[in-house]
Amino acid sequence: MRTSFVFSEVVTGLRRNVTMTIAMILTTAISLFLLGLGLLVVRMVDKMQDNYQGKLEVSVLLTNDVSANDKDCTQQPCAGLRSQLETTSGVKTVVYENREKGFERFKRIFEAQPELVKLARPEAIPATFRVSLEEPERADVIVQAFNGKAGVKAVNDQGEFLARLFDVLNGARDGALGLAAFQALAALLLISNTIQVSAFTRRTEVGIMRLVGATRWYTQLPFLIEAVVAGIIGAIAGVLCLVGFKAVALDRVFGDLFNSGILPQVGMLDILVISPILLGVAIVISALTGYVTLRLYVRL
Amino acid sequence: MSKVYKTAARPALDNVSVEMDKGEFVFLIGPSGSGKSTFLRLLLREEVPSKGRVYVSNFDVAKMSRRRVPRLRQSIGCVFQDFRLLSNKTVAENVAFALEVIGKPRNTIVKVVPEVLQLVGLDGKADRMPHELSGGEQQRVAIARAFVNRPLVLLADEPTGNLDPDTSQDIMLLLERINRTGTTVLMATHDHSIVDSMRRRVVELDHGRIIRDDARGVYGVGR
Repeated sequence: MRTSFVFSEVVTGLRRNVTMTIAMILTTAISLFLLGLGLLVVRMVDKMQDNYQGKLEVSVLLTNDVSANDKDCTQQPCAGLRSQLETTSGVKTVVYENREKGFERFKRIFEAQPELVKLARPEAIPATFRVSLEEPERADVIVQAFNGKAGVKAVNDQGEFLARLFDVLNGARDGALGLAAFQALAALLLISNTIQVSAFTRRTEVGIMRLVGATRWYTQLPFLIEAVVAGIIGAIAGVLCLVGFKAVALDRVFGDLFNSGILPQVGMLDILVISPILLGVAIVISALTGYVTLRLYVRL
Repeated sequence: MSKVYKTAARPALDNVSVEMDKGEFVFLIGPSGSGKSTFLRLLLREEVPSKGRVYVSNFDVAKMSRRRVPRLRQSIGCVFQDFRLLSNKTVAENVAFALEVIGKPRNTIVKVVPEVLQLVGLDGKADRMPHELSGGEQQRVAIARAFVNRPLVLLADEPTGNLDPDTSQDIMLLLERINRTGTTVLMATHDHSIVDSMRRRVVELDHGRIIRDDARGVYGVGR
């Protein structure tokens, strides 16, 4: 196989169909960008699950008068609630956090937004029992048992908040992947069409190649490589779109959440990890589409 | 062998049986639609016979696997009425193309292309583009391309159909020269004067049947 020959054929082919080639590259890039977004969300959700698993707590928020008057949880109903919590099965630890400590924590979390801290008053923060469980999934037992008890303002299961957040993220992921699939279909049809046009414009060459006894691979390879090269360029463009999207949109909109650690950081590393996947998908899809098109529509 | 096209009422070739020896020069004549082109296509495995066998050298053409078809075609050279040159390549590139696409090494190509251009009388025109050449010269390029891989058989389908009589004569001299190297030449033609002047074997087809096979024939009987 003479590689120089095959590659000069590929370059002429791509140049000859330049508009189609560009369309093919753009569609592939958009499709892979969306796929990349979906994969990034998947990674983000995974990381969050790792981060929060085990750290998930149930917070039992106490009423205002308890928060104001019982600094060390020595009076009723606070002391009683604490011992009830400690004796409930499945509870690992119970930590009492009074209003001052709660306010400290609030200030720490929102360090990045001083204006928010300035507005907040310690009186708005309730004293809280932070209850960690052996199995965070079984939080509803605590929620049901302590909701409405004397001295209890509310019981919050962090897991529930997280589940809601995961629902939003998973929705975004499904949306991105769904759009990616549609866009991939368009890319696929374009690849197929480009190859047919390409084969048609080169029918004289291909006819001569057949006649002088070139093997099937020799006649088809330039077309296949043409599709794959466009696919690879599309994948690279898609990855660049992801990098741009991270810099322009993600970091601006979610920057504070990233910095405070509420949302896990989406870094260049994440994009670097998924880009080989995008590249692989591009190569496999373009090669496969090319091969099937040549088999079905083009007599070589 | 026979060949029936799916949509046709009568067979394109009907129980045709003919043998051509290595090194022969054979004219295949007959009116349009008599089956000449089908005959050539069967030899090239562009078509498969509906019935019977086709042999070219050691190749069992009708039965061979698709994978081996390129090997068959590498031992057959083809020339057509319309030359079929690549207009964006020079004379030398056109000839080299036939070797490049079957994976011949560069140093072989560099050596044999000038040789074959000299053989067909085109030395000095290697860097011309096809549109700069006369019809006869273009056909010489096509012949050079067909012959450059030293095929066992050269199939020529109306190679003089687009040329004036003098140029046709030159092309025939060239085909004769190629025939003298031991290559079997099979030429389908309508050209009376050429067939008559060459006095070679003539196989005549009509409605898909062989109606004549003369060792040293002319175009029309009793002419």
